[in-house]
Amino acid sequence: MSLFKTRDWWSVGVGEEEEFDFGCLTVGNIDNSSDDLGKYNLSQSDMTSHSIRYTHNTDSTTGIKAFDLLETVAMSDNGTSPSELCQARSVTESNQLAVLHPRKLAVYSIKAISGTVEHGQQYQIQLLYEHNLQRTTYNFCYGPFGGVKGKDFICVQSMDGTVSFFEQESFAFCRFLPGALLPGPISYIPRLDSFVIVSSSWQAESYKYQSLASAAESPGVNETQNIKSGKKVVADWTFSLGEPALDIYVMSGIQTSQQFFVFPGERNIFCLSEGGVLKYMSKMEYDPTCFCPYASLAEGTINYMVATTTNSLMVCQDVTLKWAAKLEHVPVQIKVANFQDLKGCIVTLSDDGHLQCSYLGTDPAIFIPPSTEARELNYQAMDLEMSKLQKKIREKAHKSVITPNLKTDDDLQLSVQANQQLDDISVSMIRTLDRDSLYYVFLFQITVKSKTLIENIQIDIHTNWPLASSQYSYEIPSLESGKSTELSVKYYIKGHSLPCNLVSEVTARYLNAVGAPRIVTAKVKLPLKLIVRPVYPMKNAEYKLTIDTNKPPVNLNDIFPDLLGENAGGAGAALGFQFFGGPTVTILASKTSQRYRIQCDQFEAMWLPLKELVERMSSYLNRGKSGDFKPSFDGSLPLQEYFELIEAHFEYRMNSVKCKEMLGQRSSQFRVIQRRLLTKFKDKTPSPLQNLDTLLEGTYRQLLALAEAIEDNDHAQNVTSNNLSSGTYLLNYLIKLWLDLSEEEFNILTAAITPRVNDNDQHGWEEMVDAAVTHLLRTVLAKTAKDTAINPSPLTIPNDTSKVKKHLALFCDRLGKGARLVEGLRGKNLVVQAPVSVSDINSSSGQMIWILP
Amino acid sequence: MDPMFLAYSYFRRRKYQKCEEICSQLLEKNPYDQGAWSLKTRALTGQVYVDEVDVDEEGIAEMVMDDNAIATVARPGTSLRKPGTGQGMPSQGVRPMTNSGRPVSGFVRPGTQSGRPGTMEQAIKTPRTSHTARPVTSASGRYVRLGTASMLSSPDGPFINLARLNFSKYASRPNLAKALFEYIFHHENDVRNALELASQATEQCKFDDWWWKVQLAKCYYRLGMFREAEKQLKSAIKQQEMVDSFLYLGKVYVRLDQPLTAVEIYKQGLEKFPGETTLLTGIARIHEGLNELDDAVKFYKDVLHYDNMHVEAIACIATHHFYTDQPEIALKFYRQWRLLQMGVYNTELFNNLGLCCFYAQQYDMTLTCFERALSMADDQTLADVWFNIGHVALGIGDMNLAYQCFRMSLASNNDHADAYNNLGVLELRRGHIEEARAFFQAAFVLAPHMYEPHYNFAALADQLGDLQSSYNAVKRAVDAYDGHIDSKELLQQLKQHFSLL
Repeated sequence: MSLFKTRDWWSVGVGEEEEFDFGCLTVGNIDNSSDDLGKYNLSQSDMTSHSIRYTHNTDSTTGIKAFDLLETVAMSDNGTSPSELCQARSVTESNQLAVLHPRKLAVYSIKAISGTVEHGQQYQIQLLYEHNLQRTTYNFCYGPFGGVKGKDFICVQSMDGTVSFFEQESFAFCRFLPGALLPGPISYIPRLDSFVIVSSSWQAESYKYQSLASAAESPGVNETQNIKSGKKVVADWTFSLGEPALDIYVMSGIQTSQQFFVFPGERNIFCLSEGGVLKYMSKMEYDPTCFCPYASLAEGTINYMVATTTNSLMVCQDVTLKWAAKLEHVPVQIKVANFQDLKGCIVTLSDDGHLQCSYLGTDPAIFIPPSTEARELNYQAMDLEMSKLQKKIREKAHKSVITPNLKTDDDLQLSVQANQQLDDISVSMIRTLDRDSLYYVFLFQITVKSKTLIENIQIDIHTNWPLASSQYSYEIPSLESGKSTELSVKYYIKGHSLPCNLVSEVTARYLNAVGAPRIVTAKVKLPLKLIVRPVYPMKNAEYKLTIDTNKPPVNLNDIFPDLLGENAGGAGAALGFQFFGGPTVTILASKTSQRYRIQCDQFEAMWLPLKELVERMSSYLNRGKSGDFKPSFDGSLPLQEYFELIEAHFEYRMNSVKCKEMLGQRSSQFRVIQRRLLTKFKDKTPSPLQNLDTLLEGTYRQLLALAEAIEDNDHAQNVTSNNLSSGTYLLNYLIKLWLDLSEEEFNILTAAITPRVNDNDQHGWEEMVDAAVTHLLRTVLAKTAKDTAINPSPLTIPNDTSKVKKHLALFCDRLGKGARLVEGLRGKNLVVQAPVSVSDINSSSGQMIWILP
Repeated sequence: MDPMFLAYSYFRRRKYQKCEEICSQLLEKNPYDQGAWSLKTRALTGQVYVDEVDVDEEGIAEMVMDDNAIATVARPGTSLRKPGTGQGMPSQGVRPMTNSGRPVSGFVRPGTQSGRPGTMEQAIKTPRTSHTARPVTSASGRYVRLGTASMLSSPDGPFINLARLNFSKYASRPNLAKALFEYIFHHENDVRNALELASQATEQCKFDDWWWKVQLAKCYYRLGMFREAEKQLKSAIKQQEMVDSFLYLGKVYVRLDQPLTAVEIYKQGLEKFPGETTLLTGIARIHEGLNELDDAVKFYKDVLHYDNMHVEAIACIATHHFYTDQPEIALKFYRQWRLLQMGVYNTELFNNLGLCCFYAQQYDMTLTCFERALSMADDQTLADVWFNIGHVALGIGDMNLAYQCFRMSLASNNDHADAYNNLGVLELRRGHIEEARAFFQAAFVLAPHMYEPHYNFAALADQLGDLQSSYNAVKRAVDAYDGHIDSKELLQQLKQHFSLL
């Protein structure tokens, strides 16, 4: 965190596996040597140690070479020594060492005895006197209490906030501090003869020594340490700091005798004047660990050092940062000491007993960033690799990124077989929508086989509404190589709508051995029996379609053996199918010509029977022989009927947009009313609501009604979407039969006039088909060069369907006049251009794997 | 060794876990040990303490259902919602904007990345990718996470059952109440109970402790009652001027969208506490929010005068210099910053260094800087680094490298609008008109606040003869940045063309 680091002058590790805290370090002239310069540096261990340690730092003739002397004096005391040390003058006026033990206060004197050898001096430590205490001690301070001359008294604060006063060898008195819970720092100010503490209520409090002393209930002989109660002591002044303080320092100005207090807190540094008035404060943007004010260089300012948890030492003057240096440890205490040849040395003690004397310097804190990847550069190999990669990129660049490439060797094989017989048990389980009709349930077996060990295979089953499956997803935890597993799924019909196709998709997702996601899709064709039941054929119907074939007519009974029902004994010239809960479709076979007629009261309902008829006929007639069965259609295209479907679908879409707009308006109205109400309620002087509550409730009802309307509309839109989808399938199929389109052309056709009606908020079917058809009209079906300008319009919902209808009619017209869809057309472009919605990508024909980029 | 003493010592040395363990043991022995109880609350608070001044997250609900705004149509330069045109700031063509219409800042703080959408609909529709997740209200979001974090630390359930706490008893004991309040507010995150305690405590001390007033204001602020918070803070300042009180009051005014009053408050605080960096930074941030970058930089420089290791100030000044075409000076700041070893060794720094080196024509350093940036980048920043490398490649004319860099950028962040835009330009240079169109379209759909893709799209459409879409796009471009001459010219030209027809 800083540019420079401190320069190490002398350092030593103190103690082993000991912990040190604030109060373990003091610096002073301990042996009372005469020369002012020879100061001593004394540290005292904490927590576990049974010893006092002091290190002596003397110097020989040359300033740099210093003899480090470390002496350990075993303490006879059983306890450990938690507290600080100071110079306490006893009878004599020399410095002595006071050590606070958990239950004892001891004062020692230390004498230096010059040694005989070069290695300097010996030290002798001698216990002068000690006080046994009744309470666990926390800290202490000393000073000429009550203005005594030439003596220092000691005041010990215990863990429960009691202060005991000792006048040297004798015990004076003991007081409770009011409101004490946890002890805080304590300090004595000789000038005012008062104590300043920071209490648990996070305020600085000042107590006069006099008031403490006079608060005694019964001054006299029975004064013991063992007090249970006391008179309440009144503070001289208090100042709320708002946070616990780490310590208290008393500083005095250079010229004036005015003193002030510095409270380093956990988050701020406060500076208070003698009378308890805030001089200034400074917010720290770091976590301080310890603090040491050292001097006041200019009048009214203080210089101090703060050490932080991020190993840095900052030197500040009031609020201005003067210097920052990096320390090697996080110190628990800092002191400034004067040694014989180094004045103003910074002494730090860390938590784990690292004692360091250092000074500030301009040694940069060297931080070497980790090298990125030090490997020998081989330019030839790199060039080779580069060109290889470039080649690959160039190869890939030609292909469009979004088109995934097919890969045939998949690890997973998916197959689905129909279970021939109906599942009898579950027939009864399905709730019937129509009382009289019987709903079938078909059981299918999904077989999953893998070549390698694959874990976590997700299998999803997708069917188009109103078809449904008993289960939508499976999870196979793991599949061993070569093994296969079988799953069964039931299909049934659910809901009142015409299904638009009978295909269900089974998709398996998994991660291959490399970790790339893979998808395998299998398609299931569901039997027609799932959605229709045989009924008597109907003579007349509104819509009729006639299909020509090139083969002699067949008995329909042979083609639909499973769907004869009551017609079983008939001549096989007419069959009727009724969709469950839907219209009846009649198939008629001409006896003489090679024609078949399909008729129904609903245009789009003819799609599935027609498809089924053609498929069954082709498989029936082509049995054994090479397939030369060919159906054709040469009536006029039923565009008008188709357009009605588009109209119906579009109406619901418009309706939905309208409803949503209204919902938006109402909800913003609702919020405005809420806001008004809130202001009224928050107002101090209540005012009448002015019927706002009624309005709120009314709007709320409207919201609910609108939401319901949207739901209903959505459902109806789904039904019309399905109808439109069926209609589109039918139209496309008829166009195919009509023009005898090749498979490639048919694919383009279905991509343009897509039978997937998938409406969402952004774009719907109408504009997508319009865009695709317009594109085809402008490209392959263009008559003149003028038409070929491509300016795709944005995909927004149109105002009416006239445009798409016009384009569709024009499209069919051009096709009818012999225009082809493939000539001069790059197939790829078309796929890219046709608006591809997400669902389109997911459902492509056949079994394929999508390589996800 | 007295366990209580040991616990207190651990607390001092910020070893909260150990302290808490010892306190728990003590409390097991004697459940009525108030000292241990108080120390444990403090240790638990210390583990999760975040300075409340710095926490500011506006959720969608706060932004939209804000009934504290004074004026819906504020005069320019008096509201953070509608940053003024700003005098002397670099134009948008030079310094990119965030989608709130503010220039990008050099230092990410809570609130710098967010815009203020105008309506609820807009707010909900803001693209919510994994990179811009905004909580619905600030009452969910981070605070909930803080709450669950505190649950984690005490597996046996909460240490204090707040529901059974007798607040009036504790409120009358100031030595317990303050620590308890911080515990409830920071650790338990239960603002309602904290407010209850604070209001009783301030009553108990006869309304003459500023601390409780500030705490009340903190609670009110969290509850969204800014006027009450303001009242408490003003009263606290009257009683005792403290830095924190000024900071909170400034924050309240920012929330009330009165940036000028907030600056006033900060200045008032500075009179009492000259050179307080937090106050100076507050002023600088507001100026930056108001697009008054020169003023912001002035205050950031003041900050540096008092604390020359202030990372935010250095970063913001460096960014300012970078975008005012003085990359060398920016480089100096970043270098100093790096040299200072502020614990900053990250992708962003090396990325910025690389860019500065490039613009200061120290090409040798550029690539090494980017290399380092790449080696440290995560998914979020990787896209930006690649984008910048692509930019450098453009600068040295290596179109292929640039193209590939932009693709890399898109590979790590699919929504990188700038990369889409630049790819569009590159495709256009190669003559792939359709691809270019698609890229521009993607860019302006992702970032409608950027004017470049709009203009590019318009220019392309204009060349292709699709005047209607060109007109629409160029209008959007002018909306996004009304100082762009080319857009204006194109618009003029199109208007003329249409009127001729």
